Order: sequence, then C-alpha cells, then structure tokens
Amino acid sequence: MKSATRLILLAAAAAIGAAQTAWAQPPGGRGGPPGGFGGRGGGLPETFAPPMRFASSAEHYAYLEDHYDGGIVHTYESVPKWEGVWSAAANNSGNRLFLNGNEIIPGVLTPDYEAAFQYRRDLGVDYDRLTSCEPAGLPRWFLEPYTREFVNTPTQSWWTNDLGNDTRRIYINQAHQNIDGTHYAAGDSIGFWAVDEELGDVLVVHTVDIYPGDYFRGTPPTSNQFETVEIWYEYTPDNAPADAVPNVAVNVTFYDEISLVEPITVTYTFRHRADLEEAGYRIRHWECESNDNTYLTFDENGVPSTQYRLPGEEGFIDPRGADRMRNPDLPPGLVGQEKNPIFDDGFEDFIF
Amino acid sequence: MTLSKQSASIAAAAVASLGLMGLAEAHHSFAMFDRGQELVMKGKVARWAFNSPHAAIYIENEAGELWAFEGAAPAQLVSLGLTGYTFTPGDPVTVVMCPLKDGRHGGAIGYVIKAGDEENFDAWFRPSDAGCGPSRSWSEWLPAGYQSRAEAEEALGIEPGQGRGGGRGGFGPGGFGPPQ
Repeated sequence: MKSATRLILLAAAAAIGAAQTAWAQPPGGRGGPPGGFGGRGGGLPETFAPPMRFASSAEHYAYLEDHYDGGIVHTYESVPKWEGVWSAAANNSGNRLFLNGNEIIPGVLTPDYEAAFQYRRDLGVDYDRLTSCEPAGLPRWFLEPYTREFVNTPTQSWWTNDLGNDTRRIYINQAHQNIDGTHYAAGDSIGFWAVDEELGDVLVVHTVDIYPGDYFRGTPPTSNQFETVEIWYEYTPDNAPADAVPNVAVNVTFYDEISLVEPITVTYTFRHRADLEEAGYRIRHWECESNDNTYLTFDENGVPSTQYRLPGEEGFIDPRGADRMRNPDLPPGLVGQEKNPIFDDGFEDFIF
Repeated sequence: MTLSKQSASIAAAAVASLGLMGLAEAHHSFAMFDRGQELVMKGKVARWAFNSPHAAIYIENEAGELWAFEGAAPAQLVSLGLTGYTFTPGDPVTVVMCPLKDGRHGGAIGYVIKAGDEENFDAWFRPSDAGCGPSRSWSEWLPAGYQSRAEAEEALGIEPGQGRGGGRGGFGPGGFGPPQ
C-alpha cells in the first residue's frame, strides 16, 4: 500500500509550481511544549497538505481513490473499531487560521467573506446560531467540544456528536446521493478504507452539500459551496503509555471557492474517554429543543445577542418537571408527566 | 521534515495554544451573564436538570424567590464528579453565581455547596460553564461570610478581579479538548 505522505513528496516534485503554491495552512501559533497525552491537548500529529492544487474537492478525492487503488473492502471483523466515548482534543483549526491577534490575516478569506468576518467581529460574539438548537454541522462538527461516538461498519460509519443532534453518516464505497434538493448540516459523506504505509488504516471521506456554517462561534462563516476531503486514521502521541488507546485524527482539507482564497488543510484529533465510560456516561443528552431556555434577541440597534428565559416567562421550558409547553393538550397536573420521577414527590412543578 | 508536512513547531505551538484559547463553550454565547460579578445565594434546590446542551439548577432562595442558573453539559459535569443525582429537590445549598446582567432572577452557576460543606472546599461542586468562572478564593471568602466577590475584594484590599482566578468554566480531571 502507499503512503499519503510519501505520495505527497513525489507528487510535489511532479507538480511544477504546485509545491510553491501558497496553499493556505495553519499559521504558527504561540510557542511552547506540546500538551501531554490525556490532557486537554492530547497531542497533535503533523498536518500534511495535498500533493498539488486540485481544481475541486472531487478531484482531490478521485486522486486519493486512484492513489490507494480504490481502497479495500472491510468485513465486520476487519473494519477498524473506534468504539466507546471520545472527546475532541487538539487541533490547529479555528480562528488561528484567520486571525493574527485581533487582526484578520489578509488573503485567506475572499473579500466578501473577509468583510463578513469583520462585520461579525465588530458586532461582538454575543450570538451563536446554535442557540436555537441548530446542529453544528460541518466544519464545526470537527471542533465541537464534549463527546463523540465513532461506529464503523463495512458499509457505513455513524459518528455522533453529543452536543447536537448531529450524526454524520459516511457511506462506504458508495456514490454521493442527494434526492432532497437541498443541503444538510452534516452534508453528504462518502468514503473508502485503505491502508497507508505510514498512517496504517485510513478512511478517506469526501463531504459535499453542506449548509453554510462556521468553524466555531465567532469564526468566519463558510458558504454553501464548502466541501471537505478527510483522511481519518489512528494516531498515538509519542508520550502515550504503551497500552493507551490510540487517538483518532483527521487530516482535513477545506474547499470553498466562495469563502476561501485557497483550500486550507488542518488536523483535528479525538481521544478515547475511558474515564467517562467508567463514570457511566452515555451519549443521550441532546434534548435541546425540549429543555433549553436560551434564545436569540436583538437590542434597540438591531444587534443580535443571547438571553436566558426564566420560570414564569413566556416560552419557558421546564427541563425536568411536567411542562405545559411539552404537552399543552393534556390536562394540567396529570400525574406521572414529569420527565424526571424525582420530582413526583419533590418540589411542586413550577407555577405558570 | 518533508515537503508534505508542516513543521512540528506549528503543531506543537497549536497544541500549546489550546490552553490559552476559549474553553469548552457550548452552543451559545454567554453575553447575558455578568461574569464580572460573583454573588452568594442560599436556598433550596427546586430542580437539578442534568441535561444537554446545558444543565440547569433552580433555587428557591431564603426570600422565597425562584432563581434559575445555567451550567455546563453532562459530559463536562461527569468529569467533575456530578451526575443527575447530585442534587435533589429540597436540598439546602449555597451557590456562588454570576447574575444576569439585566437583573432578572437568574444567572450562570459557579459553585454549589451543600449544607455543612461550606468550609470544605474539596466537597464543593463547580458545574459552571463559561458563563461563570468563580474565584478559588471563595474557599476563604465564603467561610468568612462575604456575600459577593466585590465585597470580599474591597474588604481585603484586593484589586478588583485580582482574587485567585477560577477560570471561566469547569474542566474536570480529564478535561475537554477546547475548540477555538
């Protein structure tokens, strides 16, 4: 099998001028030693750029398909298992791609999107589109904190995000489909497995048809032409214990001809959270629309901001008691309607 | 180093910079909370909602008022030793919180201290998200009877905001990879 990084060396030599092309890459950040394994950083593998300037993400993905000879077909027994609970760890993405201190780095974003980013920054980061319980979607999915599950089968991978009803589905060895006439928060993802000489098992993913989104709250927006080419693999930081579960890393290239002057390649990592598993934690907490009381508001100047709704205020949702907003078609006071039975015999329900 | 790889220094710097960046801010802005204020309130637990994207604790204070406080997400709380059973209705508690800027009866939670644990800082719970990062100096200020950070800092001659920091949000022993 071939190596993604060696491939890039060869291709870089062949692609006249391509190696000198100013592919946008993460600028250097603040200095210091890498974070320790199991800490908040958990180690960050090196990011490898695409071997040449592809015209599109589709061309990049096709190139990788060819490079890996179409990939391999796994069985349930052989498909890499990334089971359990994981959380986002180190990355070199986010606003460090676009900001030097408080100044926008010129030439990374297209003029319209650089202006939009400045507009957003001038407003202040007092609002987040996720306030209204919208899924994070891509590319933010990579960066959202808290937990993930990675379930890989020979034909699909299902990757959940606890902080949103935001499950990615990767259709293995299949073609893109979109019969809905729209885009989606997580887009449409296809992929194939391969074995890379340096990285080991890799899952190459191509994602298209993504909603306009962002990298995180307060970052530049992405457009509805944003697409990704992702190379997922297991990664063990140098300072990891010998028996450590490897991290999962993704080397992802962002394509967006509307918002980005050039594609950008970054790395995100995820680390296994045995501590959460041992504490009994399971991903089943996303009930945003039925229990969240934050909402969008505007000040007298039309500036968006966020507010917090209190008991007794219009629209308040009781997150654990018997909620009239949940079942307005049931008689008030019906026994057994509290979400949490603790409250059956505890405090009275909030009075509205 | 190959042409294909970026310098290790970039990766190292990126990792190192994580700790300096924003914490695990969940799904919304915290602009409505006054993180510059830290106030003490005593009362009883009316609700403890251990749910995503944010936990919430509702307190009936000693004046009989119902106050609502937002906290972190369950995954973060678990790493801090909290579960859905940590507080039950009627539990007498003291909270340190950052109030809503507009003065309504709510805010972001900082510490929750069960009755009898006021002088045992190790038994305090900190279910806070980025809406409130209470000072660790509360381990001394609360037993001394101070009711606000401003009051404690003025009485002790501490420059405002210079008490021992608590960070903006609660990370447990495992911690969560912060976004940007």
